[in-house]
Amino acid sequence: MQTVKRSKRYEILDKRPVNQDGFVVEWPEQGFIAMSSPADPKPSIKVENGRIVELDGKPREAFDMLDQFLADYTIDTTVAEQVMAMDSVEIARKLVDVNVPRQQVLDITKGMTPAKVVEVLNHMNVVELMMAMQKMRARKTPSNQCHVTNVRDNPVLMAADAVHAGLLGFDEQETTVGVVRYAPFNALALLVGSQTARGGILTQDALEEATELRLAMLGLTSYAETISIYGTESVFMDGDDTPWSKSFLASAYASRGAKMRFTSGSGSEVQMAGAEGKSMLYLEVRCVMMAKGAGVQGLQNGSISCIGVPAAVPSGLRAVAAENLATMMFDLEVASGNDQTFSHSPFRNTAKMLCQMLPGTDFIFSGYSAMPNGDDMFAGSTFDSSDLDDYLIIQRDLMVDGGLRPVDEETVIKGRYQAAKALQAVFEELDFPPITDEEVEAATYGNGSEDMPQRNVVEDLKAAERILRDEITGLDIAIILAKRGFRETAERIFNLLKQRVAGDYLHTSAIINKDNQVISAVNDVNDYRGPGSGYRLSKERWEEIKNIRQALKPTDFS
Amino acid sequence: MNLREIGTATKGINPREVVVAVGPAFGKDVTKSIMKVDHALILREILSGIEEQGATARVIRSLRTADLAFMAHEAAKLSGSGIGVGVQSRGTTVIHQRDLDPLSNLELFPQSPLITLETYRAIGRNAAMYALGDTPNPVPVVNDQMARPKYQAIAAVLYIKECESRIANAKSVELEVAFSYE
Repeated sequence: MQTVKRSKRYEILDKRPVNQDGFVVEWPEQGFIAMSSPADPKPSIKVENGRIVELDGKPREAFDMLDQFLADYTIDTTVAEQVMAMDSVEIARKLVDVNVPRQQVLDITKGMTPAKVVEVLNHMNVVELMMAMQKMRARKTPSNQCHVTNVRDNPVLMAADAVHAGLLGFDEQETTVGVVRYAPFNALALLVGSQTARGGILTQDALEEATELRLAMLGLTSYAETISIYGTESVFMDGDDTPWSKSFLASAYASRGAKMRFTSGSGSEVQMAGAEGKSMLYLEVRCVMMAKGAGVQGLQNGSISCIGVPAAVPSGLRAVAAENLATMMFDLEVASGNDQTFSHSPFRNTAKMLCQMLPGTDFIFSGYSAMPNGDDMFAGSTFDSSDLDDYLIIQRDLMVDGGLRPVDEETVIKGRYQAAKALQAVFEELDFPPITDEEVEAATYGNGSEDMPQRNVVEDLKAAERILRDEITGLDIAIILAKRGFRETAERIFNLLKQRVAGDYLHTSAIINKDNQVISAVNDVNDYRGPGSGYRLSKERWEEIKNIRQALKPTDFS
Repeated sequence: MNLREIGTATKGINPREVVVAVGPAFGKDVTKSIMKVDHALILREILSGIEEQGATARVIRSLRTADLAFMAHEAAKLSGSGIGVGVQSRGTTVIHQRDLDPLSNLELFPQSPLITLETYRAIGRNAAMYALGDTPNPVPVVNDQMARPKYQAIAAVLYIKECESRIANAKSVELEVAFSYE
C-alpha cells in the first residue's frame, strides 16, 4: 500500500539518534557478515610426523602465510587431532560450565583450528559468551584503560587530563596525536600527568610503529598496543607486513622490557577491501591465533577502529563479544574495545558496553575517553568524560567493578594543578616554549581544548622534535622533577623505569598497582568456578564504588 | 575534468614542485567523494592551493596500491621537492615527505566526511609551503566522533570500489589534468 500521509509515530522514530547510524544488509562476497559466511572454511586437521599437512580443508601446498604461521607456531600438534574430534557443542558447554576449570578449557583450545573456534562460538548466545568471559579472562582482577588526547595536542591540558584519569582509577592511559610531530610532547605530558596521580600507571603513545618504539626505548612510554595485525594475507601485504615482521617488532619491545600487545579487530579486512568473502569473526580468530603464535602477551580487539562495520550488520556486536572471548580462550590479555564510537544512540552504546563490563575483562575499555569526545583524537569513544557519573553509578547499581572510582571535585582540581605545575617546571628546565601561569590555571579548571589559551605551534613542534634528537629520556625527566621539588612524581617515574629492568610486567595481563607491585595472570590468575569464586569485590573496593559524591546521607536532613 | 594518462610517472627535479597522487579509481571508476563532492572540485582546490603559493603541481595516479600512506609516500619520493600529497576517491588526504617513514607524515586528514573544499585548498597551500622550505601552521584538523557511526560502512564500500581498480604490480602513471568549465 502506497501512502502519502506519514505516521507521526514513525516520524518520531526516524528522528531518534539510532536512525543516524549506518546499517547495511549482509554482503558475504565482500565480508559484510559477522559470524558465519558461506565461504568460511569447515574445521579439519591432518597431522603427519608432527607437522600439520591440512588445516580447515586446505592442504599444506595451498596455505597462505597466515595458515602457515598458525600451523607452525600456534596449534599444538600433539593434541590437535584429539581436540578436533570433539563435538563443538560440547566445547561450547565446557566454556560456560562453572564446574570445568579454566585450565581445562585452555588445554582444549591449544588444539583448535580457526574454523573450529568459530564453530564453537557460533553455538553460544550473548549471555553464554559473557558467562564464559567471566571464567576465561586471564587476570582475575578486571581493569580499565583510557584515552587522553586533545585536538590541539596541548601538553598542559594533556598532563591535567592524565592526572584526572589516574585519580579515576584508569590503570593504563593511551594518547595519540593530531599532528604527528607533537608525539614526543604528548608522551612527556602523559608521563608527568599520570605519575602525578599515582605510581604504576602505564602509558603509551599510539603512533607510527618506529616512532612509537623509539619513545618506549627512551622510557617516555611504558607499553604499546598499536601493532596491527590482519586476518588475510592481502591486507597484511597492503600494510607492508607479515606475521614474521610483526613478531620481530614484538620482540623489539620485549628486549627493552616494555609491555606490548597486538591490535586487531573484526571489520578491518572489510574496511581494507581484503575480506576474501570470509566472516569478520573467522578472520579475527586468525588474528587472535596469530598473536598467540607470535608469543605476545595480549591483544587489543573488539573491532576497535572498524567498529562501525560489524555494528552495521546483524549479530555484529555479538561477534565483537565473541572475538573478545576468543582472545581469552588463548590465554591472552584482552583490551576489549568499547573505545571507538559506533552509534548515536546512548542505549546502543550501553548495551554493547555491558557485554564487557558485566563479566569484566583485562581492560573493559581499550580507551574510555577521559576528556570530552570532541577532544578525542581517536575519533571519539563510546563513553567520554561527560558520561563518567553514569558509568560510576552503573557500577554501584549492579555492584560491578568497572575499574573506576568516584573522585571529588577538590581532589581533581588539586591534582590537575599539580600536574600542570610539574610540566611547567620540566618545560622551563629543558628550555622549551614556556608554560604560562594562565595556561596552568586554564588546564586546572577547564573542560577541553577550547578552554585553553593558544600556544605557538611552530615553536612547540621544534621543541618536540628536540626530545627525539637529543634523546631526552624518562630518567632525565625524573631528575628534573626531583631537582624542582616534585620528588613524589620523580620517584614514581624512576620506579616505573626500574620495572623496565625487572621485566615482571611483561607477564600476561600485567598492571602495576600504586605500591609498584605487578598484578598479572601469573600471580592473580582467574580462578572463577561459579558463585563465591573468582573475582569478588573486596570490602574496601565496594566502599569505594558505593560512595558516589551525589548520594544523600541521613545527616544531610538534620 | 579530463584525466589523461601520459606514461609512467617519473622522478622530478624541480625543487619547487609538489606531486599529488590520486587513488586508482579517482575521477575514473568513482567520480565523487564520500560527501558526494565532485573529484574535479577537490583536485582543483588542491592544485590551486599549491599554485597560489608559487609552487608547481604534478599529478600521478597510483595503480598498485590504494593505501593512502603508500600512495602519498611514493608521490613524495617522485617529487623534486620531496613533498607529496595523497588523495583517495572517498576524499581522505595526507601531506607526506620523502624522508619520513611511510606511516608517519606531515599532516593527515583521516576523516574524509569532514574535509571541506576550503580545507583541500589549505592542504595544497601548506604542501606548497613545505616544498618551498617554510614551516606553516598545520591546517586545523576537524574531529567529529559521530562521523564513524554515520559513514564507516559507506567508507568501506568506497574503499572496496577503489581497490577493485587496482592493477597488481603496475607503476604509477603521470596524469595530464584538464578541467572543463561550463
